[in-house]
Amino acid sequence: MRTKIQLVLLLTFGLTSNLPAGDWSHWRGPDQNGTSPEPGLVSDWDLGGKNLLWRADFMGRSTPIVQGGRVYVIGRSGQDITEQEHVACFDAETGSLVWEHKFNVFHTTIPFNRVGWASLAGDPTTGYVYAHGVQGMFFCFDRDGEVVWSRSLTEEFGRISGYGGRTHTPFVNGNLVVISYLNTSWGNQAPPRHRYFAFNKHTGDVVWVSNPSGPPKDTTYSTPIHMNVNGRDLMVAGNADGSVYALEMATGRKVWGFRLSQRGLNSSVVASGKYVYASHSEENHDSAALGRVVCIDATGSGDVTQTHEVWRYEGQTVGYTSPVLHDGHLYVVDNSANVHCLDAMSGALKWEQSVGTVGKGSPVIADGKLYATEVNGGFQIWDVSGDEPKVLDKKRIECEGGVHAEIYGSPAISGGRVYFTTEEGLYCLGSGEPRRSSMTMPEKPAFDATLPPASVQVRPAEVEVTPGGTVRFTSHLFNELGQEMWQTNGTWGGEGVDGSFGDDGAVTVSGVNGQSGTVTFKSGDLEGSARIRVVPSLPYEEDFEDAKLGTYPSFWIGAAGKFKAVEMDGGQVLVKPPAVRALHRSAVFVGPSDASGYTIQVDMMGTKKRRVRSDVGLISHRYTLDLMGNHQRLQVRSWASDLRMAKTIDFTWEPDVWYTMKMAVEQADDKTIVKGKVWKRGTEEPADWTITAEDPLPIREGSPGIYGYSPTNVYYDNIKVW
Amino acid sequence: MRFRTLAAFSLTAGLLATVVSIRAEVEESMWGFTPSRNLAVEGTGIPDSWDPKTGENIKWTAELGAQTYAGPVIHGDKVFVGTNNQSLKNPKLTGDRGVIMAFNREDGAFLWQMTHTKLPAGRVNDWPQQGICSTPYIEGDRLYYISNQCEVVCIDTEGFRDGENDGPIQDEAETSEIDGDVIWKLDMIEELTVFPHNLATCSPIAVGDLLFVITANGVDEGHVAIPSPFAPSFIAINKKTGELAWESDLPGENILHGQWANPTYGVVNGKGQVYMPGGDGWLYALDAETGKLVWKFDCNPKESVWELGGRGTRNAIIATPVFLDNKVYIAVGQDPEHGEGVGHLWAIDATGTGDVTETGAVWHLGDEDFHRTISTVAIHDGILYAADLSGFVYALDLATGKPHWKYDTFAAIWGSPFVADGKVLIGDEDGDVAVLKAGPEMELLFEGNMGSAVYTTPVLDAGTLYIASRNRLFAIEAK
Repeated sequence: MRTKIQLVLLLTFGLTSNLPAGDWSHWRGPDQNGTSPEPGLVSDWDLGGKNLLWRADFMGRSTPIVQGGRVYVIGRSGQDITEQEHVACFDAETGSLVWEHKFNVFHTTIPFNRVGWASLAGDPTTGYVYAHGVQGMFFCFDRDGEVVWSRSLTEEFGRISGYGGRTHTPFVNGNLVVISYLNTSWGNQAPPRHRYFAFNKHTGDVVWVSNPSGPPKDTTYSTPIHMNVNGRDLMVAGNADGSVYALEMATGRKVWGFRLSQRGLNSSVVASGKYVYASHSEENHDSAALGRVVCIDATGSGDVTQTHEVWRYEGQTVGYTSPVLHDGHLYVVDNSANVHCLDAMSGALKWEQSVGTVGKGSPVIADGKLYATEVNGGFQIWDVSGDEPKVLDKKRIECEGGVHAEIYGSPAISGGRVYFTTEEGLYCLGSGEPRRSSMTMPEKPAFDATLPPASVQVRPAEVEVTPGGTVRFTSHLFNELGQEMWQTNGTWGGEGVDGSFGDDGAVTVSGVNGQSGTVTFKSGDLEGSARIRVVPSLPYEEDFEDAKLGTYPSFWIGAAGKFKAVEMDGGQVLVKPPAVRALHRSAVFVGPSDASGYTIQVDMMGTKKRRVRSDVGLISHRYTLDLMGNHQRLQVRSWASDLRMAKTIDFTWEPDVWYTMKMAVEQADDKTIVKGKVWKRGTEEPADWTITAEDPLPIREGSPGIYGYSPTNVYYDNIKVW
Repeated sequence: MRFRTLAAFSLTAGLLATVVSIRAEVEESMWGFTPSRNLAVEGTGIPDSWDPKTGENIKWTAELGAQTYAGPVIHGDKVFVGTNNQSLKNPKLTGDRGVIMAFNREDGAFLWQMTHTKLPAGRVNDWPQQGICSTPYIEGDRLYYISNQCEVVCIDTEGFRDGENDGPIQDEAETSEIDGDVIWKLDMIEELTVFPHNLATCSPIAVGDLLFVITANGVDEGHVAIPSPFAPSFIAINKKTGELAWESDLPGENILHGQWANPTYGVVNGKGQVYMPGGDGWLYALDAETGKLVWKFDCNPKESVWELGGRGTRNAIIATPVFLDNKVYIAVGQDPEHGEGVGHLWAIDATGTGDVTETGAVWHLGDEDFHRTISTVAIHDGILYAADLSGFVYALDLATGKPHWKYDTFAAIWGSPFVADGKVLIGDEDGDVAVLKAGPEMELLFEGNMGSAVYTTPVLDAGTLYIASRNRLFAIEAK
C-alpha cells in the first residue's frame, strides 16, 4: 500500500532539479533533439593534432554519451576467438580508460561488425549507464563499472534479434529505463510484436510493458523521446509496425498512434512544444511516393493519422537518421546523405546539401555549426548560421591500410568538446580549457488532486519465480494525466497459477510444475494486471504425454506459434514444423536464465523433404549443440554468425530416426568446456563425448533449451535437465 | 529492340553469323541488348538537355510503383518495366506485389500488367516492396522473367488485350484487358527446393531453345548456412515448355550471401558458353548445351576474406558479365546495404579450361583503384566504361585496363553506364543522370535530375531515350 510519505517523495521528484552541467546522457543530447547550447566549439581540426584533444583506441558504431566528466561508449572488441561486445568508460578530459566491461555474444545471428549497435543511455541523477547488447543482455552499470543489475531479455522475455543488427537504445526518464524490442514469449505476449518494457532504473524490476502496435514489419531502432503535452508526460517513438506512438510515460498506456509507413520506423522522432517530427524512407501508407518527413500535432488521442498531421515533406527518404530541431528549422539527412533544412512550421525546404553518399549517423547543431558523420569515414563541420550552409571542415577517417573507417554513430557535445566514435577510434575535438554550462530540467506541472483515477498498475508487471516462491506485488493508481495518486482499496486475484493470493498482494506459488498466469488488482471499475511465470526447479523432465495436443508447456520462452505437442506412434512428442515465414531457426528456453551446472538430454528426430533436411539441437549455458542435416555435421557454438569458439565435426545421421543428444558444460577457472554426445535412441550411450569445445571467454550461466532449424519437421521427446 | 540495330551491333560485337541468323527470324529484347550484355548501342538522338520539372524534351512520362529496379526494356511498340504495386494500376489488386508493367512506347499509355503477390515467407525469401527486379527477356510475343515468388514466368507480350488466353496455363484469376496472360511457370522453390535469399532477381537470356537463369539460392535468414545446398544455382530451361533442360550444382554450399547476378552468353571456338556469376565470387563458364563446367575464375584475391555484415575483402558478384571478342569483363561487389569497400574489375580470357584463376586474367583494376560495384560495364570504340557503388564512373582502355579518366557523381550508383550517340549516361541514387562525353577525354555534357533515385540503366531506342527513376518512366526526345 502507498503511504503519504511516498506521495510527498513523488512530488519532490517533480520539482526543478539542477543536473550535472553539460551532460550528454541521451544519444541526441540534453533536449533530445540533436542540439547543444554550448558555445565555443571547434570549426576545424586536424588528424595530426590541431583541436584533436585526444583519440582513444575503440571499435564502435554507436553514439557516445558524456556524463559526470566521463565518456561512455559501447562497441566491439577482440579478434577471432576473443570477439565480444564492449562497454568502455573514458575520462572526458584525458581520454584515459577508466573501466571497461566485455561480454559474450550468444543466441543471435548478428555479425561481429554490427555488435554494439544501440547507443548507451545515462541517468544523470544516479550516474548509472544502461547498455543493450546484441545478444539481449540489458545492463545497468554504476559510474565505476559495477553491474547494478542485469536482465537477459532473450531468455527471460523472448526478445528476437535479426541478422541486420538493429537493436534499440535504452531511454531513461524519471525512475524508469525503457527498452523496446520485438518479442514473443507466452500468454498475451505470444504474438510477435514490438513492445516497450519499462524497468525500475534502480532495481531492474519490470514496471510496465506496453504493446501499442500491430504486427511488426521489420526489426527497427527508433529511440523514444520524452515530451509533456497538456500536463501529461509522454514517451514518443517510431514502431516496427510503421506507426509513431505516444505512450503515457508513467504507465505505458497508448495515448495516440500515427500511421506513417508500410515498413518499420528507424528514425527517432524529435519534438518541440506540441509538435513531433518523424520520418521514414519506405512506402507511405497513403501514397505512391517513397519516404516522407512529417510534422504531427501531439495533442490528440487515438488514431490521429487523419486528424493531426500538420505538414508533410513528401517523397524524401529519411529512413535512418534522426532530425535536428534548431532555431525554427528542422534538419533531416536522407538515406543518400543529403542534408535538407526545412522550416519547422511549414515544412518548406530552405536548402539542401550533400554530406556524402550514405546517411546513417544523425548530425548535431551547436554554436551555429552542424557536425555530421557519414558512413564512409566522413566527418564534416558546416556553418549553418546563415541562409546557406558553408563547409568549414571535411575529414575522411581511415583504418590502417587506407580503408575508410565506418561511422554510424552521431556526435556528442559536452563541456565545449565534440565526441564521436568510429570503427577505429573514439575522438574528442576541442580547443582550450573545458567549459561548464549549467542546465536545468523543465519544471513539471503540479499534481492535480481533483482528477479522478484513470488506471491501475501492478508491479512488478512481469516476474519469474520458482515453485514455492512468493512474490509481493504492489498496486498503483494514476490519474488521467499519468500522475500517481493515493492508493485506494481493491481486491487481488489471479488466474493460470496455482497458489495463494494474500490481501497484501503477496502471491505464493504451490506445486512443482512450471506454469504461467496473471495477477490482477481491481479497484472500482479499474483493473490492473501483472504476469507471473513459474519456472520449475531442477531436475526438470518433460515427456509431453500429458500435454494438451497443439500446445507447449506454457512457461517456455520462444515456443509460441512454433512448437506443439502431437501424437506419434501411440504416444505424444513435440514437433517444430516449417515456419510459414521461412524463419525456421528457433531457440526455446525452458529454465531460468541464471541456471548453471546442469546437464540436458533430449530425444530428437530430423526429417527430409525432397533435397532438404532439418537441423536439431540443444542449448546449455548459452552454447548450442547443433546436429546439422543438410551438411551432416555436428557443431558446438555460442554465436551462430561468428563461430569464434565453435567446433564442427563431420557426423553422419539419418532422417526419420530418433537420436538422443546430451550436452554438459564444465566450468574451469579460465575456460568452459562444452561437451556434446549423440547416439541412436535405444542403443547404448557411448562412453566418450562425441564433440568437445573450449571457450577461453567462459559463459557461466544460461537457460537450458532446445534448438531447431526446420525447413522440414523436427521432433523432440523426453527432455531431461538435471 | 529492333532487329536491324541488333544485327548491326551483334556483328560488330563479333558474334558468329550463325547466332545472328537464328535471331534474324524473331525480334529479341533484353537487359544489355544482346546475350553478350554490352551496354552500348549504335544510334543517335540523345538530347543535349532535358528537365522533368519544365517538361523540356520530355516526350511523355508514366507513373510506376514506388520502387523500380528492372528495365526499361523496349520491344516492338511497348516499353516494359518491373516495379512494385504502390501505384495500384488495377485497384482490385491491392497490397504488396511484384509487377511487370507494359506501356505504349509512343505515348506512355499504360497497357497492362502482370502482378505477383508476395511469398508468405516475407523478407528472407521475398523482401517487401521490391517489386519485380528481373528485367524481362522478350522474344517475339513471349516475355520471360523471374517473379518475386522465385518462379520463371513466360507471359504473352499482349497480355489479355488480344482477347486470347494463350498457352497451357488457362486458370489465370484476372483476365481483363489490363491483366497479364501466363503461358507457363516454373516454381523454383517447389520444383528445385531453391531458397532465394531476400529476392529472386535474375534477368534471363535465351539462346536457341534454352533460357538461362540464376536461381537466387542463398543463405538463411541468419546468414549462417545455405538451407538448401543441393538446390541448383544455375539452370537452363526449355523456353517453349518451361521444362528443366539442365542444372548445375555449382557453387553449392559456397554461396556467401545471395545470388542476384545475371547470365551472359558468348561463343568461343564455335561453342556456346554461358557465364554464370556465382554467389561465391567466382565466375563460371558453363557449356551452354550441357551445363558442364568449361572454366572458372575466382574474382577475388586469394588472401581476401568474406565477413558477415559487409566489412570483409572477399566479395560476391552482382554485376552482369559482358562478353566481347573472346573476353569476359566482370566486377565484384556486395549487397549495397553492406556499404562501400574494395572492389575488383577483371578482363578474363574466355578461351581457357578448368580453373583459370592463375592464367586467365588479361588485366585487373582493383583494391583502392576500384570499389565494390553492382554495375555492368559498357564497351565502345576501344574504351570500357564502368561504375562503382562509391559513385565513380571510369573510362578504361579496353586492351590494358589503364584509366583514361574517372568521374565522381557524389552519390551511390546502382545502375550501369550506357553508351550511345557518343555519350555515356549514368544514373545515381540522388536521381541525377549524368551525360559524359564518350572517349578518352572526360567531359560532363549535362546533368539532369529525374526527381527520384535512378537505380536502372538508361536505354536509347529509335531516337528516344528511356529512363526509369524509382517511381516514374520517362521518354526523352529532342523536340
